[in-house]
Amino acid sequence: MHETLLYLKAALDKHPELKYSISESYWQTDFYRFFQSQTNYNISKDNINLSADLYKGKKSYKFSIDDPDIPRIDKALLDALSIIDSLPEDPDFVDLETDTTLAEKRDIVNNITAIPLEQKTRILTSLAASAAKHDFELFGTFICNYSSSRLINSNRLDKFSIVSPIYLEIKAVHKQSQITVMETFGGDDFSYFELEDFRNRLVQKMLFCQNEVVNVEAGQYDVILAPRCVAEFVQYLSYGMSARALDQHSSYFDGKIDQQVFPESITITDDPTDAEMIRRDYGSSGHIYRPLKLIDKGYFRSFICDNYYHHKTGLPKNGNTASCLKIETGNKSLEELIGSVKRGLYVSSLHYMNFINAKETSLTGLTRDGTFLIEDGKISKVVMNLRFTEKIDRILKSIVALENRSYTIPFSENYESFDVETVKAPHALVKDFNITSSTNTI
Amino acid sequence: MEQKIKNIVSKLSTSDIQFADVRITITDHEEIGFENGYLRAYSSSQGSPAVGIRVLMNGCWGFAGSKDLSAPSIDRLIKTAKQNAIQGSAFLKNKVSFPALQPTVAEFHHQPKINAFAMPKEEKMDYLRNLAEAIKPAGKIVHSIVGGEFTRQEKFYANSEGSFSHTSYYNTLPIMMVVAADSGQIQSRTWPGHMSAGRAGFELFYEQKFAENAERIIKEATDLLSAPTITEEKADIIIGNGHLALQLHESVGHATEADRIFGMEISYAGKTFVKPEMLGKFQYGSPIVNIYSDSTDPKGLGFHPMDDEGVPGKKIDIIKNGILVDQQTSRHIAHLLGLEPSSNMKGSYADDFPLVRMTNLCLAPGKGSLDELIASTENGYFLDFTKTWSIDDNRNNFQFTTEIGYKIKDGVIVGIVKEPTYFGITKDFWNACDAICGEEEWGYYSTFHCGKGEPGQIMQLSHGVAPARFKNINVSVKM
Repeated sequence: MHETLLYLKAALDKHPELKYSISESYWQTDFYRFFQSQTNYNISKDNINLSADLYKGKKSYKFSIDDPDIPRIDKALLDALSIIDSLPEDPDFVDLETDTTLAEKRDIVNNITAIPLEQKTRILTSLAASAAKHDFELFGTFICNYSSSRLINSNRLDKFSIVSPIYLEIKAVHKQSQITVMETFGGDDFSYFELEDFRNRLVQKMLFCQNEVVNVEAGQYDVILAPRCVAEFVQYLSYGMSARALDQHSSYFDGKIDQQVFPESITITDDPTDAEMIRRDYGSSGHIYRPLKLIDKGYFRSFICDNYYHHKTGLPKNGNTASCLKIETGNKSLEELIGSVKRGLYVSSLHYMNFINAKETSLTGLTRDGTFLIEDGKISKVVMNLRFTEKIDRILKSIVALENRSYTIPFSENYESFDVETVKAPHALVKDFNITSSTNTI
Repeated sequence: MEQKIKNIVSKLSTSDIQFADVRITITDHEEIGFENGYLRAYSSSQGSPAVGIRVLMNGCWGFAGSKDLSAPSIDRLIKTAKQNAIQGSAFLKNKVSFPALQPTVAEFHHQPKINAFAMPKEEKMDYLRNLAEAIKPAGKIVHSIVGGEFTRQEKFYANSEGSFSHTSYYNTLPIMMVVAADSGQIQSRTWPGHMSAGRAGFELFYEQKFAENAERIIKEATDLLSAPTITEEKADIIIGNGHLALQLHESVGHATEADRIFGMEISYAGKTFVKPEMLGKFQYGSPIVNIYSDSTDPKGLGFHPMDDEGVPGKKIDIIKNGILVDQQTSRHIAHLLGLEPSSNMKGSYADDFPLVRMTNLCLAPGKGSLDELIASTENGYFLDFTKTWSIDDNRNNFQFTTEIGYKIKDGVIVGIVKEPTYFGITKDFWNACDAICGEEEWGYYSTFHCGKGEPGQIMQLSHGVAPARFKNINVSVKM
């Protein structure tokens, strides 16, 4: 195991003038996609990759080899050694990661073998039958990944980690009206998946869709944001919590450390240890990943800062990557939250958000997968999807109540490399949420 | 490699397999990034292999892919792909089928003027370092980026009908951006926008005049800090090529990918407002709007002699004189819609499942120059270079912000505006198009980063556009 990694390490150790950070990663996915309550396709993919970051003084060069073998490693190393001297320096590079702390060992199940395709199709067949009774069909994905990585650097760091996330996303689409609702499961422990609870939640959402479909005007609404929406806004906000954003002058949190930025009810932690979520052991440069309070009772406490930006900005470093965000719960039940709204909206999910100005946290995006009108404290009608243009800063400052329980929400990362992460969040009641137009579609 | 792929296909020529295809790609990739004048990243991946095996059994697709091309790996992938199809067919209502095609053979090898992988590394580095030096932070410029991504991909395709193709391409993505800051606000400018890629080697940096535009983006980013915003509710807007390519991409390109009609992309990328019954009837745009998909033009990144399921490259009208007339399809979806397959099935790498993808999706040119179009505009704005983009999952309601807007009064540019934002409904917007510039303004604008599918694939593709004018567009977003 790790023969190519150890071969590369041995070769690099013959060059004491070099610092290095090298890793060997194995990645595998079983990716099942379905539509119209039937299989679209199932994909099985795997890869072994060897990558190396080499430093000579302040000059650096990186190479990466898929399906590595000795001749290709020798060639890549020869190329690297021949070019590195001619490269310009990065004056901000000081040293590689020095944190050698090892994470506590956990038993990690390979969910690709633990949840075979046969089991997936059995679960979906059962849920599709329930959906069909209400004239809905199922669309979505059922994914299991397994990846392991060993990272070694010239500062005697040597770390091995495994992660095996599960992501089940079901969208139930009404055959005639096309009204869509969604239910998800995410985590690395499938024992938390309760089929009957999942079915009941999905069916409950389908029942909301029997109501009349209406359009609403642009304007400011009291809005119940579903946990998925709260989670996604906080994910976007966390961009500005990175030392990299601070260094690039695009952080909302510039100059705000230890200042109150949100109401006292807002506490956000990056917690890689929660068993109901997808857990992580280390950050990308190998620093141990520990719980980190980002917003504590409204006060901004910490930037997410890797080794490079620690040296560049002087901020304390950590192994956090905002991949395990948790938003603290409040003291209201969902029924109380909905019951307190005279006329407003329930927003299930968001779509295609993009910053207009990241430093100001202004962005635009849309609702999807179930937007509902609340009248006199009850969900009364289905609303066509809406566009909002808002500032996350203003949304969080306008939260007047949070639900007293939270939900684990999975998100699939689809750009660059495929990954799954989870966020834990409750429902939130937000005043005066800014709807700027309707999509006129469901 | 040709023999290897044909051997794999021969192992799949059994009576229980209705159709099978195999792809092998070998990809070189290099990335160089300067920040604030200093080299931050130089990474290289050479000869990265990938193989993908797709089988249709029991009317169900099964797929397996890997970076490992060894014989034991291939045998394992064949077994897995077949198992996936058989097991998947346990949850199936309608079997996948499509008419057979005559076998074809294709070979195409692109050569750039300056091969970024073979040119002297010092020459490449010196050019980028000088560019980075020219825009490094000074005055109100607080952050700057210069970089390039270079790819070369060789692809082999073979299927059970006897089709075979062998192709290779070089693509380049150059990047230049500055960020200006003052009093807590930031503004940015890029050159030449986010669709700066091209089917080329290092010559793209010279052709796109990066060095000549360094001072321009520094000045414009700085001036934007004190520029006003648009005050009107509605305005006539001219959209420049640096942004129009994305408007076309989001509101026509993705909307006419027919896999979305059947909900195959609901779980991630979304649906489309387009319905099969709209073909031949739906007034998508004004009569001057002609949009086509063209995988036969080798100048665009979307060129191929054969797509990733054996359909020869094609040029097809999607919108003809404003009417929706066709879709981008796979063989399966074309069969369901009663259309001819459009040659739009592509996977980013061989170990990616092929999807319906844009190739070279183009807005046909009209007449006249950009200067003439501006001169014929009484009041309005010329908007260019994408900053923010967003569109709903039916591809119906969009909102875009560009990096800069130029105010037009009586046919003359009289100043700039910051963060110009416009929004609209796809059909209304394209029907508001009253002028498209001519061939002298038309060109390809290309991206490396069109995301679709799960596991996510990032496609390289092109849009041919010329600046166009749209009347009475909503330009006021109340924050």
